[in-house]
Amino acid sequence: MLTYSTDATVDAVVIGTGAGGAPLTARLASAGLSVVALEAGRHWAPARDFATDERAQSQLFWTDERLSAGEDPLAFGNNNSGIGVGGSTLHFTAYVPRAQHDDLRLKSSFGVGEDWPLSYGDLEPYYDELERFLGVSGPSSYPWGPPRTPYPLVPLPLNGAAQLMQRGCAALGIRTAPAANAALSGSYWQAGVGWRAACTNRGFCQAGCSTGAKASMDVTYIPLAIGHGAEIRSECFATRIEINSAGRATAVVYVHQGRETRQPCRAVFLCGGAIESPRLLLINRLANRSGHVGRNFMAHTGLQVWGRFAEEVRPYKGIPGALISEDTHRPPDADFVGGYLLQSIGVMPVTYGSQVARGRRLWGNALSAHMRGYNHVAGINILGDCLPYAGNRLELADERDARGLPKPRISFSNGANERRLTAHAERVMRDIWKRAGARDVWAFPRNAHIIGTCRMGTDAASSVVDSDCRSHDVPNLHICDNSVFPSALAVNPALTIMALSLRTADRYMQRLGREGA
Amino acid sequence: MRKALHGGALTDATRAAVSTRLATPQVIEPRFFTSESLVTLRAVCARLVPQPHPGAVDIAGAIDTRLADGIGDGWRYDAMPSDGEAYERGLVGLDETAREMSGGAFIALSGERQDAVISAVEGGSPAGATWRSLPARRFFEDLLAEAIEAYYSHPLGQEEIGYLGLADAPGWQLIQLGERHPRETPPVIGEQPHHDG
Ligand SMILES: Cc1cc2nc3c(=O)[nH]c(=O)nc-3n(C[C@H](O)[C@H](O)[C@H](O)COP(=O)(O)OP(=O)(O)OC[C@H]3O[C@@H](n4cnc5c(N)ncnc54)[C@H](O)[C@@H]3O)c2cc1C
Ligand code: SF4
Repeated sequence: MLTYSTDATVDAVVIGTGAGGAPLTARLASAGLSVVALEAGRHWAPARDFATDERAQSQLFWTDERLSAGEDPLAFGNNNSGIGVGGSTLHFTAYVPRAQHDDLRLKSSFGVGEDWPLSYGDLEPYYDELERFLGVSGPSSYPWGPPRTPYPLVPLPLNGAAQLMQRGCAALGIRTAPAANAALSGSYWQAGVGWRAACTNRGFCQAGCSTGAKASMDVTYIPLAIGHGAEIRSECFATRIEINSAGRATAVVYVHQGRETRQPCRAVFLCGGAIESPRLLLINRLANRSGHVGRNFMAHTGLQVWGRFAEEVRPYKGIPGALISEDTHRPPDADFVGGYLLQSIGVMPVTYGSQVARGRRLWGNALSAHMRGYNHVAGINILGDCLPYAGNRLELADERDARGLPKPRISFSNGANERRLTAHAERVMRDIWKRAGARDVWAFPRNAHIIGTCRMGTDAASSVVDSDCRSHDVPNLHICDNSVFPSALAVNPALTIMALSLRTADRYMQRLGREGA
Repeated sequence: MRKALHGGALTDATRAAVSTRLATPQVIEPRFFTSESLVTLRAVCARLVPQPHPGAVDIAGAIDTRLADGIGDGWRYDAMPSDGEAYERGLVGLDETAREMSGGAFIALSGERQDAVISAVEGGSPAGATWRSLPARRFFEDLLAEAIEAYYSHPLGQEEIGYLGLADAPGWQLIQLGERHPRETPPVIGEQPHHDG
């Protein structure tokens, strides 16, 4: 790996190496820029460091304490926040559906929420490129959304939960398809990355893939970036962005092994995720002339419905999210704005047990009896819209963490729309499980993914970045991660974040060519 | 000792993680709790998460170790004090409730009466001064979640429910409904004395 001196001014410093940070690091480096990417976590060697053990793999989660407030306080850590080179893609489930046209036009369609200042056409070439580069496995013809190029790899095999959901959906006339997963159904070669081996169905995506089959950033865009001359500085926690009198960013200050270091640069790309990016801006009192940093916080409605079946499911095997339906993208009988998708899910025992604790409060002999049914459990999950509300936001608390920085306090309450959407979904999922033959069906309400705290928009008074993810206030500061989403989308976010990341780099390079800035 | 640990079904990283956990001795000298409150915590955990071989998995000890090492899970309810303080006060609260309900400390009560105390805490408005400032339901939920996570992340807890996902080094080819590899026939991990259920 090429390294850069902290005495020299590099072209770009990227903060965070997850879905938002890694693709643009590779893109900028491949255009010949000198790029240093700072990452708070470690640079893992998955085959050596990743155990098939949920507790050991808690090493992948962001554990600096966050305060959860509101009526529906959110769980962080393993629910949504990763640390390490690759960010939350280290433990994402690899589910990568595209957004649809109307996902980006919520306000135009329903009169509430926000439109994106981008269209599907702006994202489509990047979706195509990403699916090819990551090696996405998916069905040969996808039943929903606009016509599209076929997925490069055949679908991953369906596991027990997927078969059961297929059975229940077929009985109800709900269409299903094998899901698009950024995990390889066959070994795959990419220039700049080399060979990656096929998925071995170990079902452990949410706690780290030890085989490299899952297209987390550490085995895809990071090696590509390094090959193009980027330097990845792991275990470096960014604390300050320095601004000169002209209002431009000039350096990033970070802490490595307790020592503060300063890296001068010509541009900053802040990609710390939808909690850490706004937190860093608020701590630095930066890029917030709109007062919108930390506002518009959203979290997908993510109800899970579990059932117990006579058959053995053994929910630890196979890619966890193997089957999808988007028939509920805009349900005809909806009494809510937006929509949701349905996916089958497998589950690991500690994750399941934790939900049984928080969702069912089973203890004593009732708990033991329930848990002994683990091998017969299958789940369905939704991923649904969430509107922005004034009260849902991130602020800095007075309390400080071990680094001496103010802890973030995140207030979150589902609104009437999320409650109606969730009730609709619960009816549908219970029907599916009933038709599939489930007993002891129960629902675990939850919200997943952290979205929207540095919203993208055309109006500088009500948004933080423009459609190129460039700060309205600081011209050489870009923010690119889940925080810039103006609306939540009725699909999982990672593919769209990566698309924005590549696009942000391309737009920046175009501007650099034109204006030299 | 344990077949799977010696067989080729576990990767080196998995074997290391599991062996370490299996070899972790019971906490005798707590580093976070007082000895008395550790005893109370052990008694609560035994009611919350019963074990076929009582005490085989040291749930309370795992909580003590985590708190002493200052490890968190990345969040807490804003309405709750820090994890450590919540545990200390919650255990005091349990004893208060036990005294109010049954006239004795929690550990002095029969299992049935202990369960009644736990149910009162779970219900959200138990007797006892502590609970006026510590949300009882939240305390119960956090404690139960941590106890369950500690037990089912232990090889013995996993063996009890027939979880064999850790034996994945050769990958899984038989993943459909009702399909099993030969190594999925329990007990894979242990030649532990077998128990019913
Ligand atoms: C269990 C789980 C399953 C998921 N499954 C899916 C799925 O199937 N499909 C999907 O689309 N999405 C999924 N997601 C969500 C997806 O992983 C995230 O939406 C996505 O990774 C977010 O990208 P990001 O760039 O915003 O942040 P991240 O990927 O979290 O990256 C942020 C990075 O910045 C680093 N960082 C933060 N602050 C600093 C700092 N001050 N200095 C240095 N570094 C810093 C962090 O360590 C981290 O590496 C899942 C998430 C979880 C937790
Ligand atoms: S299921 Fe496949 S992609 Fe997921 S962790 Fe296992 S090997 Fe990796």
